[in-house]
Amino acid sequence: MSDTPILSTHGLTGGYGDFQALFGIDMHIDAGEVVALIGANGAGKSTLLKSIFGLLPVGRDMVKFEGNSVGGTPAHMMVRRGIAMVPEGRRLFVGMTVEENLRIAIDNARLPEGEGPWTREHLFDLFPILREKRRQPIEDLSGGQQQMVAISRALLCQPKVLLCDEISLGLAPKVIREIYEILPEISAFGTAIVLVEQDVGLAREASNRLYCMLEGRITLTGISNDIPRDAIAAAYFGASHAVA
Amino acid sequence: MTSKTHHTEVVRATRSSRIAMTLCLALLLALIAMPWWASSGNIRWAIELSCYIAIAQMWNLLAGYAGLVSVGQQAFIGVSGYLLFVLAQNFGVNPFVAVLLSLIAPAILAVPTYLLLRRLDGPYFAIGTWVVAEAVRLATSNIDYVNAGAGLTLRVMTQYSQHEREVGFVLLCALLLLTTIGGSYWLLRSRIGLALTAMRDNPVAAASQGVNVGRLRFYIFIAAAVGTGFAGAIYYMAQLRITPSAGFDPFWGSMSIFIVMVGGIGAIEGVLIGALIYFLADRLFGEFGSAYLIVLGLLTLVIALYARGGVWGLMQKWGDHAWFPVRRKLIVEDTP
Amino acid sequence: MQWLDAVIQGVLLGGMYAQYALGMALMFGVMRIVNIAHGDVMILLSLIAVSLAGVLPFGNLGLIVVIVPIAVVIGWILQKFILNKVVGADPLPSLIATFGLSIALQNFMLEIWSADTRSLPNSDIASASFQIGSIYVGLLPVIVLITALVLTGGLDAVLRFSRFGRGLRAAAADTEAAAMTGVDPKRIYAIATAIAVGILGLAAVFAALRATVSPSDGSAQLIYAFEAVIIGGMGSVWGAFLGAMVLGVAQAIGLRIDPGLGILFGHLVFLAVLATRPEGIMARKK
Repeated sequence: MSDTPILSTHGLTGGYGDFQALFGIDMHIDAGEVVALIGANGAGKSTLLKSIFGLLPVGRDMVKFEGNSVGGTPAHMMVRRGIAMVPEGRRLFVGMTVEENLRIAIDNARLPEGEGPWTREHLFDLFPILREKRRQPIEDLSGGQQQMVAISRALLCQPKVLLCDEISLGLAPKVIREIYEILPEISAFGTAIVLVEQDVGLAREASNRLYCMLEGRITLTGISNDIPRDAIAAAYFGASHAVA
Repeated sequence: MTSKTHHTEVVRATRSSRIAMTLCLALLLALIAMPWWASSGNIRWAIELSCYIAIAQMWNLLAGYAGLVSVGQQAFIGVSGYLLFVLAQNFGVNPFVAVLLSLIAPAILAVPTYLLLRRLDGPYFAIGTWVVAEAVRLATSNIDYVNAGAGLTLRVMTQYSQHEREVGFVLLCALLLLTTIGGSYWLLRSRIGLALTAMRDNPVAAASQGVNVGRLRFYIFIAAAVGTGFAGAIYYMAQLRITPSAGFDPFWGSMSIFIVMVGGIGAIEGVLIGALIYFLADRLFGEFGSAYLIVLGLLTLVIALYARGGVWGLMQKWGDHAWFPVRRKLIVEDTP
Repeated sequence: MQWLDAVIQGVLLGGMYAQYALGMALMFGVMRIVNIAHGDVMILLSLIAVSLAGVLPFGNLGLIVVIVPIAVVIGWILQKFILNKVVGADPLPSLIATFGLSIALQNFMLEIWSADTRSLPNSDIASASFQIGSIYVGLLPVIVLITALVLTGGLDAVLRFSRFGRGLRAAAADTEAAAMTGVDPKRIYAIATAIAVGILGLAAVFAALRATVSPSDGSAQLIYAFEAVIIGGMGSVWGAFLGAMVLGVAQAIGLRIDPGLGILFGHLVFLAVLATRPEGIMARKK
């Protein structure tokens, strides 16, 4: 089937230990598509990404990648299959240089650098400041520059699906714009992007479709530009608030 | 909200705890009465068992609540034992009084020990305590005043009759158990106990709730050193002899770890169960020497891997029958 | 002159301690685990070497070729069945598990080899020495020191430049983030432990050549390794090497003052470093 989504979840449930945070999530994304995942704090967006990526336990059939059931596969094996993640808070390797941080990804990527779409040279063209600072320890970079390294690191895994967890958090508007400007470049290679974002306006602008989550469930989905604002507000804060 | 009113009550005592409390008091009285009903051999056993329980509970307080794993508690056993011998033998202090005075030694040693070692990460802290114990042992072996490696003998004890000595010992043991077990129970039920339990479950969260984790750990470390030293002083007083290699024997550390892990860490009940198991096993299988110790070592390993709650943890799975309940239970009744 | 001699002998002794310490630094760096049975495993390998030397006419070099693979296998077993189950933020399980293993191992060795001290049969290398001025220097301690230097340099290069080394440093910095970047933490742990115990295999043969070993010696070796790592500064293999030198010199000088003070001096230097430079003498100032 040609219209099989590249990544999908099926009745995904999960959470941390005894604490259930997700209640039957069904979502999907096609190659080259940008899908935004919005919702308030604690809605379960990050938990969903971690569950898809094998960092939290889920049932095998709850996650399908290229038609295969892959739920619960350890994260490092997901990278080999073609999923990569830009984690919340960047999580770069302190004590190592920019170049070394990128090398970790190249060492373990799905494809060798040069065979996949992304090379260091290409990324340094996109983020010229990184070329300048490639030999500096990661802790010497600004927050925005670190976010560029985190995105480059994920891209050098040569993913077919890129999961981005709150990449705008704590950054200046100018830097956010700079980072969001390269998303179309990424999808141009056919890479699908799942975007977890607090800023609804930003999410709508950058995505083809969006899912809105509330208390571990999906409350709204549709084409980003077609959904009216008040529908998003209702889905975001919950119907009860709207009614009361 | 609702029109009902709630009657709430915080309950801690349970039927099992009342039975246990009565039993403990009865046992304590029986211990004190031992010189009038038991043989000297049995009294010696009771002294030994009391010391094991106390030392193990102090380790439990450290590892099970304060998150401080020490493998060097023998440092405190040795220093208080030595101070007791010096005070009684060289300064003519009444040995039964000297036991209490000797507690100053572990308290003084614990302060710099903690201040130095707190800089080390968890596992490294543990080995650091071992180094301190070894340093104190080696230093003691080189001090001629305490007879270097040959050790000291408590000859002054001959001034007391056998009966007088036994009465003194059982009273000291009763005091030891009251302060270590009773004291821990009191501590865990107090406000500090709540902080300690919070700290055990999550030090970071506890700190954010206003628990001064560092200071609490410091106090617990000193208290545990003093409790351990108390038991050590009584033990070597009963032995009438102390040497650096016995007083600072790392086996004291192994014993506490075995008792607490097998019995059940983080529970006073676990210590009592573990101490009884260890005491009986030592009597029954001690003669097998190294084969017996292989089994003890492997048992500790298996418990660390598969049953972190020990015997008490397994018993808890059948139902909550705490002997020393430290948790509070909130009872909410709807009253019409 | 006798103090210069003490320093030289101390540095040579430090070569032995460096071999104990390298593995510990490596394992703690990546897993935050201290294997309390570290010294006991070394003694076990020494005793195996002594027993094998009686049966197989290999020569000492041949013995190393046999013992190091045995050590690597022991490391793999240790990792697979014990350490993998206790890696985590809480230091208690790993400490208790390896503590139990240490007690069991010590007494197992007592059962098999009894409490006697043993050593490898005297060879030419072990007894050869040469003279610099008025100071005699044993050939074997020099070989041990050079081996330690090569091991430290080699390990440092592996950590800096190899794929495994980068993965290990990444996992040490942030295990979950490393997994997100495709690093398999369990594989890194397994290789680190295999290298650590493999180095112990080398140390075991040297230890049995240099002096005697007996089943209860393991705790002392654990403590020396630990002191070297802390004195040098955590997380650096050159730190562990330098720490081992400082420890060896401290012990040799103490020994010269009074035969009973050697080891105590080592402990005191360790405590002094902890009091004045808790981040270790190699650590960069922050």
